[in-house]
Amino acid sequence: MEIDLDGIVIIVGNYGSGKTEVCINLAVNRKMAGLEVRIADLDLVNPYFRTREAKTRLAELGIEVVVPPKQYMQADLPILSPVVAGMIRQPSQLTLLDMGGNDVGVNVLAALGDALSGRKIHVLQVVNPFRPFTDTAEGCLKIRNEIEMASRLSISGIIGNANLIDETTVEDIYTGYDFVSGLSKESGLPLKFVTVAAELMPEIDIKHFTCPVLLIERQLVPPWKRSISLASKMK
Amino acid sequence: MGKILMKGNEAIGEAAIRAGCLNYFAYPITPQSEVAEYLSRRMPEVGGVFLQGESEVAVSYMLFGASACGARVFTTSSSPGISLMSEGISYIAGAQCPAVFVNIMRGGPGLGGILPSQADYFQATKGGGHGDYRLLVMAPASVQEAVEMVMLAFPLAEKYRNPVMLLGDGLIGQMMEPVEFPDHLKSEPTNKDEWATNGMDTRGSNKRNLVKTLFLDAGKLNEHNLMLKAKYDRMKREEIRYELYNIESDYKALIVSYGTMSRVCKTAIDNMKDEGLEVGMVRPQTLFPFPENAVYEAASKESCKVVVSIEMSMGQMVEDVERCVKGKLPVKWYGKCGGDVPTPEEVVEAVKSFL
Amino acid sequence: MGKTFAKPEALSDQHTHYCPGCTHGIIHRLVAEVIDELGIKGRTVGIAPVGCAVLAYNYFILDFQEAAHGRAPAMATGIKRVRPDLIVFTYQGDGDLASIGMGEIIHAANRGEKFTTIFVNNAVYGMTGGQMAPTTMPGQRTTTSPFGRNVKEVGMPIKMAELLSALETPGYITRQSVIKPKYIVRAKKAVKKAFQYQLEGRCFSLVEVISTCPTNWGLTPVQAVKWAEETMLPYYKLGEFKRPD
Repeated sequence: MEIDLDGIVIIVGNYGSGKTEVCINLAVNRKMAGLEVRIADLDLVNPYFRTREAKTRLAELGIEVVVPPKQYMQADLPILSPVVAGMIRQPSQLTLLDMGGNDVGVNVLAALGDALSGRKIHVLQVVNPFRPFTDTAEGCLKIRNEIEMASRLSISGIIGNANLIDETTVEDIYTGYDFVSGLSKESGLPLKFVTVAAELMPEIDIKHFTCPVLLIERQLVPPWKRSISLASKMK
Repeated sequence: MGKILMKGNEAIGEAAIRAGCLNYFAYPITPQSEVAEYLSRRMPEVGGVFLQGESEVAVSYMLFGASACGARVFTTSSSPGISLMSEGISYIAGAQCPAVFVNIMRGGPGLGGILPSQADYFQATKGGGHGDYRLLVMAPASVQEAVEMVMLAFPLAEKYRNPVMLLGDGLIGQMMEPVEFPDHLKSEPTNKDEWATNGMDTRGSNKRNLVKTLFLDAGKLNEHNLMLKAKYDRMKREEIRYELYNIESDYKALIVSYGTMSRVCKTAIDNMKDEGLEVGMVRPQTLFPFPENAVYEAASKESCKVVVSIEMSMGQMVEDVERCVKGKLPVKWYGKCGGDVPTPEEVVEAVKSFL
Repeated sequence: MGKTFAKPEALSDQHTHYCPGCTHGIIHRLVAEVIDELGIKGRTVGIAPVGCAVLAYNYFILDFQEAAHGRAPAMATGIKRVRPDLIVFTYQGDGDLASIGMGEIIHAANRGEKFTTIFVNNAVYGMTGGQMAPTTMPGQRTTTSPFGRNVKEVGMPIKMAELLSALETPGYITRQSVIKPKYIVRAKKAVKKAFQYQLEGRCFSLVEVISTCPTNWGLTPVQAVKWAEETMLPYYKLGEFKRPD
């Protein structure tokens, strides 16, 4: 099952739900499917582990990442590049906005309200049930409400991103899938896709899922580990 | 409860709650603000105290006041904030009050940068504030270990009636790892009534308690300092913690490294092993008291030719390593402290260059 | 014949270290009397400042903490947040509160921390040996303003009661004096009111007390009272500046 997404896609979710890793891998997935893809790193909240960390690797694949000016890349200043409004007004075939966590992380969307108004957009909430505050449907819906209030946008779908990083088991993936399926029913929001780490893929029975699966090749890794070379599995 | 995925900073906050510390005062600073953000949600859930103070200076005294009346207290900050708190830390140590401080280190001096660093080693282990005091300093190398150390920090602070510091670098605070929380800590400090200003009615006594640091009489101040020294000597006997890595091999070089840096070193040691070069490591888990004998013994192995202190600073811990090796072997330093954590390849190259 | 005059229970027998003509002793006594009258000795914690009153705990039979310079309001905040049932007062001088502790007192007052501050203003640093304070009067000579306070260089004396009253958070802020018996009677009432507001959990309360320092002013106790009355009182007006109701 192919992931079917184009236009402006805004990736939101609670803090640490895995938005950036999803965003990078989704960009690669869509690029490989032949779409022209751009990403804006709008994580003005998180000081480390942001999309900008993977900028060079994405550029090699022909994916443009819009980040703050170079001299501010490692700043903890909330800098919103004016280029972002431009890329919303003239979107690529797929324009991905990687937001910061929680309601605080999407405040900036309200500031981009003029650029976004009248456009068809997808706002997708990333959910990892192994994170605090989103281990219950109630918790996820509370975050959804808070994000919708702060961004003044409606969430239109769910991305299941159940993982414990290196310690994720096949069981965890299935448990996480059941969780987001339930959440999808309870909220009425469609489940757009779930994620599976590349190293787990061989053990996964793809028929288990009724939604598409996004392969994750981890990019945001601590310095003692190596990231998997992007698009290695797709080529 | 199974494992959950947490950022180091969140896990530190949750661990404090599970250690029975429901009193948190703090001031925001990158890269540790997530502790305050997490606890501003969690403390109300558990009926605890969350207060954002007006400055790190004020926060250190909020801890002092609360601790002096018998409450379990903690705060978290990052390097420049710890400099400001150092004033209060000296008073808290002098007044013999338990408190836990977490430093999620960033680059310095001055504002430095927001990326990971270990450049506050001297500040944590040798002073920071004024006077003859010591902190018991623990350095976690993973989110799980941060949780365990936080839960250990409170009983230790109470055992010694002394501040305990958890020294992590920015990466420990920012990275996410799966964690499992131990059961809630049940222990309560038992001797509070002997010293805490918790109100005479509370302890049913007519004898008032006094928490102070002023000793105008030279003899009395000397006595006070001797008593503090006896506590620090006891820490040296009872609280040294460390981990040994690849120490059974006939290693040619010995690395001493802690925190995030030690994890990079482990990868480097594994890579060198694959190439046929054996390297051992002592990872101090307590930086004060420092694992003096462990370093000395590991450096005494016949195959070992050099000891290398690898740290994200311009060479601070290396002075302790030199002291422990007692001239038996050459002691070298390798490190970086701009925020880029040295890679395993860079560590391998550095170690080889010393052989 | 019954006893007509007795030492408050909250005060000890210790001989005073305060100089002749200093009013700290009077202020200590007022606080102790109020604590006796309210019956709160067993749940009161005092916080001593850095300044002449650093040894205040020698005179009060109360649980006491000794703060660093200016930090008493932060310590009081810590206590009240974790033990709201305890009655907490800070006892601070003008160097301690209005100079190095300005940040702590303003923020504690603005958060509406429910403790009481006794702020003794004698227009000079006492303990460190008579240096200029933020409350030193224009033209007043001190060891660090040997030609008199030059307001063009160091500004005007800070009126703490007025400054704190400007905060929107409800509080009880008053300025009193103890340099003459008529003032002492009013000051006692103010101190009691301040503690009562705390007991009711109402608000932050602060009593500024215009006081004397004959030793550092270089005056006899009688001259000191006269100087305070003629120089300080016209500038530092007595009265209630803010009430929570």
